[in-house]
Order: sequence, then structure tokens, then C-alpha cells
Amino acid sequence: MKRTRLVWVAPLAITTLALAGCSAGDSAAGNPDELTVWVMGDSSANFEELVAPFVEDSGIDVDVVAIPWDSVDQKFTTAVASGNGPDVLQIGISKLRTFADSGALLPLDEATVADYPNLAADTFIDGVSGDATAIGGEVVSVPWVADTRVLFYRSDILEENGITEPPTTWDELRADAKTLAKRGDGQFGYYIPQWDSALPVIMTWDHGDEIVTADGAVDFDTPGFAAAVDLYSGLYADGSVPTNADFDQTQGFISGAAPMLVSGPYLANAISSAAPELEGKWSVAPIPGADDDRSVLAGSNLGVWGATDNQEGALALLDFLSTAETQLTWYGLDGQLPTVKSALEDESLASDPLTAVYSAQLNNATILPLVPNWDGETGKALLDALNSIVLTGADRGSTLDALFQATGSTSIN
Amino acid sequence: MKIRLAPYAFIAPASILLLAFGVLPILVALLVSFTDMNLAGLGNWSRIQFIGFDNYVELFTDASFWQALMNTGLFAVIGVPSVILLSLGVALLLNHSNSRFFRALRSFYFVPAITAIVAIALVWGYLYNTQFGLFNHLLSLVGVPPVQWLSDPALAKFSVALVAIWRGTGLNIIIFLAALQGVPKEYLEAASLDGASRIRTTISITIPLLRFAIFFVTITTIIAWLQFFDEPFVLTKGGPLGATTSVPLFLYQTGFSSSQFGYASAGSVVLFLIIAIVTVIQLRSRRADVDQ
Repeated sequence: MKRTRLVWVAPLAITTLALAGCSAGDSAAGNPDELTVWVMGDSSANFEELVAPFVEDSGIDVDVVAIPWDSVDQKFTTAVASGNGPDVLQIGISKLRTFADSGALLPLDEATVADYPNLAADTFIDGVSGDATAIGGEVVSVPWVADTRVLFYRSDILEENGITEPPTTWDELRADAKTLAKRGDGQFGYYIPQWDSALPVIMTWDHGDEIVTADGAVDFDTPGFAAAVDLYSGLYADGSVPTNADFDQTQGFISGAAPMLVSGPYLANAISSAAPELEGKWSVAPIPGADDDRSVLAGSNLGVWGATDNQEGALALLDFLSTAETQLTWYGLDGQLPTVKSALEDESLASDPLTAVYSAQLNNATILPLVPNWDGETGKALLDALNSIVLTGADRGSTLDALFQATGSTSIN
Repeated sequence: MKIRLAPYAFIAPASILLLAFGVLPILVALLVSFTDMNLAGLGNWSRIQFIGFDNYVELFTDASFWQALMNTGLFAVIGVPSVILLSLGVALLLNHSNSRFFRALRSFYFVPAITAIVAIALVWGYLYNTQFGLFNHLLSLVGVPPVQWLSDPALAKFSVALVAIWRGTGLNIIIFLAALQGVPKEYLEAASLDGASRIRTTISITIPLLRFAIFFVTITTIIAWLQFFDEPFVLTKGGPLGATTSVPLFLYQTGFSSSQFGYASAGSVVLFLIIAIVTVIQLRSRRADVDQ
């Protein structure tokens, strides 16, 4: 008797799981009082709190879905293939070109956004406003949150080694890093993440050259890039940076192995939570420069799904999310910097010394060129070329020539 | 002769599933490999263009594809014999006794095969870490400088293969154990009566009787290693500089990360043909062997 009963448990469990799996994919049918929003990250709780006033005022029910960053590509591809997408979605700027090329986003031209004053281009910081994120002349997203790269430094370690001020130029950084690396074995002065394709671009910009020509084609064959390669390989040649790919930058900063880093605001949160005892011993400074101290502008925009059946509601939500008040509330909830100019000028942001540096840097930051698949092609080719020169001793001239060849045909158009 | 419907009705569900989810995708991949399909094409089929063999030509002039092929070949050459020999050895030792301790050991060896790869990658990632990994710490106790397990292009291949070998032996040990327990006791008794030592018995009697199990394990292990994906994906993401990129990882990167579906489909057809040819060769040689 007992055996018969137990035998049924397994098939029953499997059937239950299968049915649960089937019902999980229930998408909202066309309902003008509903909006589905895809937010990137691990939790939708903060965003739901943010849009609560909007839900009350407009009566539209907002269903927030949190998408982990790792599965963004797959979710989007599936949505494009099946035609079932959200109404509003968050788009990381590095993915903007790919999403726009798929044709799945609603064009947000002047006529469409005319009724929504908060979506006008001059509301947002220059680096991402209006045509800065246009693809093929068409704007398909509005700015949402911003991210940038600044210099993090351990003020205590720098002072112990006779450096009273953080470096303001790349040459100073290289010299300081060399001094700091002399502290001993396993101690370095700086850390170059081997996966960071933005860093050599920042170095090129700071030495006075763009990485796209006026026609929009990618061009690394410039004096600015050559200076950047000198700097990049020089840091390795000086022994100032670690060579292993699995160097943990947060741990390195906390332990003092890498007392200077170029990173974004998320690192500040990571350091504060992992090592609160370091309070007061580290700070941030604007990114070092040469001819210019321009940094990279990253972050996310918001787009509307082309096949949405609640276009008005979606645009109204975008309008709500682009008010200074909402952006500041979001900064309080989630720690992500606003893109609305008036929000950045707010007192609450200016009072925190770290945020003051970020906001100042945002005014001199531009996005990476919107070429197709920066991460998988151009950016990867750039990193492979640089890493093979500095890590495996490849010949600089021929490797760079190969890079120029491989990337020369990519264009933002 | 009356055609009996019952057998066909019973195998129909499994066959339909196999055709729908096994054979059909391969045919679709073949079709897509002759086009330039990407994300834009996925959204609007009218944007897809037929480009004939261009994808294949580009594939065979792509240095990173050749690197992936070389890596896959190297992984198979290192991994397959290691897995087979290790599984066979452990199975022979575990077969020694049926006591509780030995039965517990069986579960112990099987656990890596059923543990989630992400958990394994996290742990091994920390073991291999250059700064604070356990391996480098142990080496430092005997005065050896830190080894870049996952950053050195040559060493990374062995480090990644080691994790896969550790995982791959689990299932094969169970298969060999089952086969070993099918060896008739009379033969072993007869051998010991004739005065054969245990090693002699194992080599001349047990292993030849395991022929079919060894053949099965060889085929499935070769197929698995030609599709080597999990470990390089989670441990090194194919790095450093493509040193641990296998063909499936290359396909994943071009197909899903870059959304070049046509190009990746061409690569997957090439991989399919390689695996099919290797398997057919093995089956043919087995048949020739048995006929003798």
C-alpha cells in the first residue's frame, strides 16, 4: 500500500512543476489601464515605490518586472522574436544601439513628445540629451540615470608615501603609481581592469582625439590613441599594475594593494559597506586629464516598446520619471545619479562631497560612440589588442595595425 | 503481414519530441546559416537576406574560430582519456566492497556531477584566485611564488579542464560500477582458482568484459568534450584572450551576445558535422571490432 502511494508522488510533483511553468508566462493582454515596465537589476521593490504616486494619480496599474543584467540580451531577443514585449523598458546605454537596430522601439520624435514638457531635450544633461543618443538620426529613448568614472584614491596611503594631493593629470598618475608600487611585493599603485574598454577611450579623449571620425567611422589611428597606448603600456611596464585577470578591485582598494582606481559610484557603495572602518581614509577626485579631463558617461535610458498598446500611458510614465523630484527620489532610493539638469543642481546632491564630484564630472562626460555591438566587437577588439601587447608581449606596431584594420569599417551610421 | 499499430503508438510521443526539439532545430540552423540573420532580422523577417556560403567562408577565415577549434581539440585530447581512465580506476576501486563506507564514497564521487555549475565555478574561482586563492596560499607555504591559474593563457586551459574532469567522472563512475557488477562471479572465481593475481584478473578478465561500457563512456565523453561550454563560460568567460574559448562558447558569444544568428548557425552546423563524423568513425570501428 505504502509503495503505491509513494510511486504517485514523483509523477504528481513533475506535473505540478510543469503546470506551474506553463502558467508563469502570462503576459498582460492589451489593456489601456496597465503598463508593464522592465527594470534592470535584482529587485523591483524600489521602482514600485517610486511610481506609486504615478499609479495613484493616473489610475494606471504599473507592473514592474526586474530583469537581472546578465539575462538582458536573452530577454530582449526573446521579446523581439515573439513580439511580446513590455510597454516601457530600461536600456543600458551600451545596449542602446543593439536595441534600436532591432526596430522594436518607438521613435520619440518631436511630434510624439510634444505634449510632454519634461521630455524636452534641454531638460537633460548634454551628454545624453536629444540627438546625443540618436541612432540613424532617430531618437528612440529618453535619459533616465547616469553613471560616470572618477578617480578613487586612498588618501592615507598616498600621504604616507609623500603624495599630498590626488593626481590631476595622467602623467602625474603614472608617476604616483610608480612611487606607490615601490612599497613592496604584491603592492601596486593603480589597477587597470582587463575587461574595461572605456578606460583606453577615456585616455584617448583626454589626449585630444575622438575615436570616431567626422563621418562616424571608428578610427584608432590617431596621436591621441597612440598617447593612450603609451600610458596604458607604460603603467604595465613600470610594474605599477597587477597582471592577473582575477584581481578583485574592491578588495584591492580596501587592503591597499591598489590604492588608486578609476571606477563609478557603485564602488563607493561597495567600499562603504565592505569596509566602513576606512571612512575618512579614501575619497574621490575628478578623473585625471591631459589636454582635457573628460570622462565616460554611462547609465541607462528608457524606451517605449514599438508595439505597445498603451502609448499614452507609457509616455506619461516617462514624463513622470523625468521630473527633478522623481529623479531625486530615485537617487535616494537606489543611489543612481539623475540625468535631469535641475536635479543635479539640487542642494541635497551638492552637500555630499562624493556626489559633488560625480555631478561635476557628469558635466564633462560623453557616451561611448553608438557603434553596433561595442561590447562584442569594437570594444573587445580594442581590449584584445591592448591586453595582448601588455600581457603577452605582442608586437605593438602589428597588433595596432590589425586593430585599425578590424575596426575601421565599423561606424555609428 | 498485418502492420501492428501498438509499437508505433508507444514510441510516437518520444519520437515526436525528438523530431520537434532535436532534428527540427538542426534543420532550422542549417537554413539560418545561409542567411545574415541578426537581431534586426529577428524582429522583421523581411530584413533577412540569403547570402549563400558567405558565413562559412567568413568562419574559416576567422582567426578566433580557428583558435576555438584548436582549443576544443586540445580540451578533448586532455579531457577524454583523463575522464575515462580516472572513472574506470575509481570504479574498480569502489567495486572492492559493498560496505556502507564504500556506498557513501559512491555518493561522494557522484556529487560533483549533479552540483550546479555556478556554485562550482564560484568555489573553484576562489580556489584559483591569484591573490587569495587556497592553491596559491598552499604554494606560498612551501615558498613557491603565486601562480596565475586562470590568467596565464597556457595554464588556464589546464585549470579549466581540471574542473571539468573532476565533474565529468561522476556519472561515468556510476556507469562503470553498474557494468562491473554485471561481471559474472564464476569467471573471477575460475581465475583465482587458476592462480591469477588480482591485477591480472582485472586486466585480462574484468576490463575486456567491460568493453561495451567503455565504448559507451568513450562516445558520450567525446561528444560532451566537443561541446565543452559550462566551465570556460563561468570560470574565465573564454579568456584570457580567447585561450579557453571552445567552439560552443564561441558560438554562444557570436550568437547570443553579438546576436549574429546566421554566423553562429554556420558555426553550429560545422560543430554538428565534426561531432557526427567522430561518432560515426567510432561506431564503424566498433562494428569492425565486433565482427572479428
